[in-house]
Order: sequence, then C-alpha cells, then structure tokens
Amino acid sequence: MKRAFLLVFLFCSLPGLLAAQIGIYQHGTVVRMHMGECIPAGHGFMVAFGGPSTPMGPEPCPEYTLVSDNVVFVIVGKLSNSLIPLAENIDFRFHKNELAVRVDDDKHEAKFAIKEMMVRSDWDRLQRHIEEKMRDVEDHEAEVRLR
Amino acid sequence: MRNRVRVLVLPLLLVTAMCSHDLLMGQSISDSSGESSKLAYRSTVSEVRLVFFATDEHNRAVEELQKDDFAVVDDERVIRNFRSFTRANLIKLDVIVLMDSSGSVQPRFQQEIADVQQLISQWPWGPEDNVSVLSFGGMETRLVCSGDCRSSFTAGRVQSLPSGGATPLFDAVELATNMLIQRAQPDVWRVIILFSDGDDTISKVSLNEVLKKVLASETQIYAVDLSRPEPPSNGSAILQRIADDSGGRRIHSNDGAIGIFRSVIDDLHSARVVTYRLPNFGSDFHSIRILPTHNLKLQFRCRRGYYHRSGSAD
Repeated sequence: MKRAFLLVFLFCSLPGLLAAQIGIYQHGTVVRMHMGECIPAGHGFMVAFGGPSTPMGPEPCPEYTLVSDNVVFVIVGKLSNSLIPLAENIDFRFHKNELAVRVDDDKHEAKFAIKEMMVRSDWDRLQRHIEEKMRDVEDHEAEVRLR
Repeated sequence: MRNRVRVLVLPLLLVTAMCSHDLLMGQSISDSSGESSKLAYRSTVSEVRLVFFATDEHNRAVEELQKDDFAVVDDERVIRNFRSFTRANLIKLDVIVLMDSSGSVQPRFQQEIADVQQLISQWPWGPEDNVSVLSFGGMETRLVCSGDCRSSFTAGRVQSLPSGGATPLFDAVELATNMLIQRAQPDVWRVIILFSDGDDTISKVSLNEVLKKVLASETQIYAVDLSRPEPPSNGSAILQRIADDSGGRRIHSNDGAIGIFRSVIDDLHSARVVTYRLPNFGSDFHSIRILPTHNLKLQFRCRRGYYHRSGSAD
C-alpha cells in the first residue's frame, strides 16, 4: 500500500520536480494584475480559431502581465481564485500551449492561458511612450489648474 | 598727438562702459523681477498611506509579517517597493458609533443600546482617543454625545431621543464621515461602528455617493448587522458592501457586544500601515488590492481604493 502511495506521489510530483531539476523554468516578474474576462477553454493566443468554447462563469479571472528577459506575456487564470504569488521573481514554463507558473516553494504549478505575447524591447518602448503621454496630460492638467 | 587722443577717448570709453553696464544691470534686474512675478511654487503629496490587516487561512491575525510578504496592486500596477511599513498600534482613534433607532430595528433597540454601552465601557481607550455617538431614525441624525462619550454616554440619554420612523442610513454615514473629516489629523485612525439592519428608506444621498465619501476620508467602517441572519437580506448585502469598501468588517449582532468588540480590537492590534510612492499617473480613482508574494494562504484586507486629485492622494 505504501509503495502504491509512493508511486502515485512520485507520478504527481515528477513533472514539476523534473522541470526544476532540468532547469527549464524561465524567470519573470509580474508587473500588472487586474481582474478581467475569463478566456474560454480552448481559446487564447496559442490556440488559433479553436472549437466550441465552454461558457464563462459570472466571476472575473485574474489577468497578469509577466515580464521576462526577452518576452512579455499577458496570462489569464482559469478561475477567479487562480492567483500567482506576486514575488519579485517567479518561475514559469511552457506547457501545452499554456504557461505553468510555480505558485509556491513546494513545486506546485498553476496553469494560465496565454492571452498576449510581446517582445520585451517593444513592450519597453510602448511603456515609455505611454508614460510620456500620460505625463504630458498630467502636466497640462496641472497648468490648467494653476491658471 | 597720441596722448591727446588717449585723454579724450579714455573718458569716453569709461562713460560708455558705465552706461552700458547700467543698462545691462537694469535689464537683468527687470528680467529677474519679471521672472519672480511668474514663479509658482508647486507642492504635491506623492505618497499613498494604507492601513491593512493580514489574516491566515483560519482568519486569525498574522503576528509576523514582513515587508516582502505582500505586494500592493494599485490600479493594476504591482508595487513592492514601500517607503515605510509599520504596525498601527500607536495610532490615535477617532470613533463614531452610529445607532440605528428607526422603526425597523425597534424590537432590538434596547439590546443595541446595551451593546453600545458595553463597547464604550470595555474598550481600552487611549488618553487621546475620541468617541462620539450619533443616533439616526425618522428624518434626522441626532448627536448623543461628542468626543467625550466615555464619560457622558448613558442609556437614558439615547432613550430620551425620538426614535422610530424611516431609516436615513446613508445620510447618517455621510454626516459621521463629514464630522471625522472636519477634525481629521495625521496619525488618527478614523473608525465608524455602524449598528443597523442596512435597510435605508429615506436618505437624500445614494449608496455610491456615500461610499465615495467614505473612501476619500479613509474611514474604516465596522457594520454591526441587526437584521435576522436568515434569509439573507438586501440590508445585509449593503452593510457588507459598506464594510468591504472601507476595509472594515460586517459583524452580526448575534455575536453580541463581546464579538463586536473582539473583531474591532483584533483589527486594532493587527493593523499595519504601509506607505508608497503615488504611481505617476492614472485615473482619479485608484483601486487597491493587497496580495501575498509567497504564501498564498495569507489574506489581506484594506479599503477598496482611494481618490487622487491634483497630485494628492486622499
């Protein structure tokens, strides 16, 4: 019986353990998070023109912007409580068109649908542009207020 | 001949130089005075100050919490760099107890008075804490005692006031919030303990208007629900919304004065204050959420957001 349990345990925890040992995890930082629309199963960036979708629940799903060295991902949780710990560095890897994110130190992973992907340099440039525009608007508003 | 020329030219040059110097000086003075009249000094408050509570999966207050155990999500932006992080133990309190005396709560009104009396007498007040009591029912909100209720609150005083009639709940919350804003001081924690069934029937202000004011004032509301626990009422949902938005809690009156007392006191002891730089830009209203960075079992409670006007965070 004990052996059976051990086998089941090894079977369940092996993918995560292997991923960590082989070192295939990438690292990134979550810089944005909000509750948005859920992505129906079978949809997302990686699945083009998918089949019939499952109906979405009334609750919103968490959406994260995950910045890695070269790529920026916008990923969406499957449920309203699919949370990622917002540590400075998190580990993730690709897994069947989804992103598997390590959610704690016990090698547990949570799967997220990929909504968008962007090259890091493009994303940085876009952020700078947005910031400049917003700063201009704020400065203009401040000047109007001073008059 | 050369000497004569020198004698004539030198004074001429000297006079020219002096005149031009005066002209230049005059120009520069008038320029700088012109600039000074246009100078405007801008001072902006660029810090967000947030009181919050951390609990574990069993809803118990977390004693050991470090700065890197949580992140603030401010208008979608994840903030991990904080200017300060402290316990809020030493904050002074300004508490307003709002008592619903309308017709809908009359069967439980005597118990409500007893609970408020127990709450005031057993609270570990600090020397500089303020406590006021207001009663609302009919068309009005009436002052029972202001600031000094620790010594002046009596059941007789409440009973002597008119009771029954409609429920101007939102008007009463707005009035209490205005009172707290008027006497607001730094490092004073503003708290409303609201006894009601949540069933507003006559207020001039709407729920959304009052919630906006509560958020802007950084007042925390603990709603003591006087309605029957079953079936769930619309009033309970409203009380829950008011409490959640302000970062407080909804407590059922069945828990009794001790339960209410414990909920608020637990918060008082476990509250933390974090400050961070105001994110550079965004809308007037910033929504806030606090989430764990490592341990997903940790839960955090704080007000739903804050209003940011012209460089200041409210």
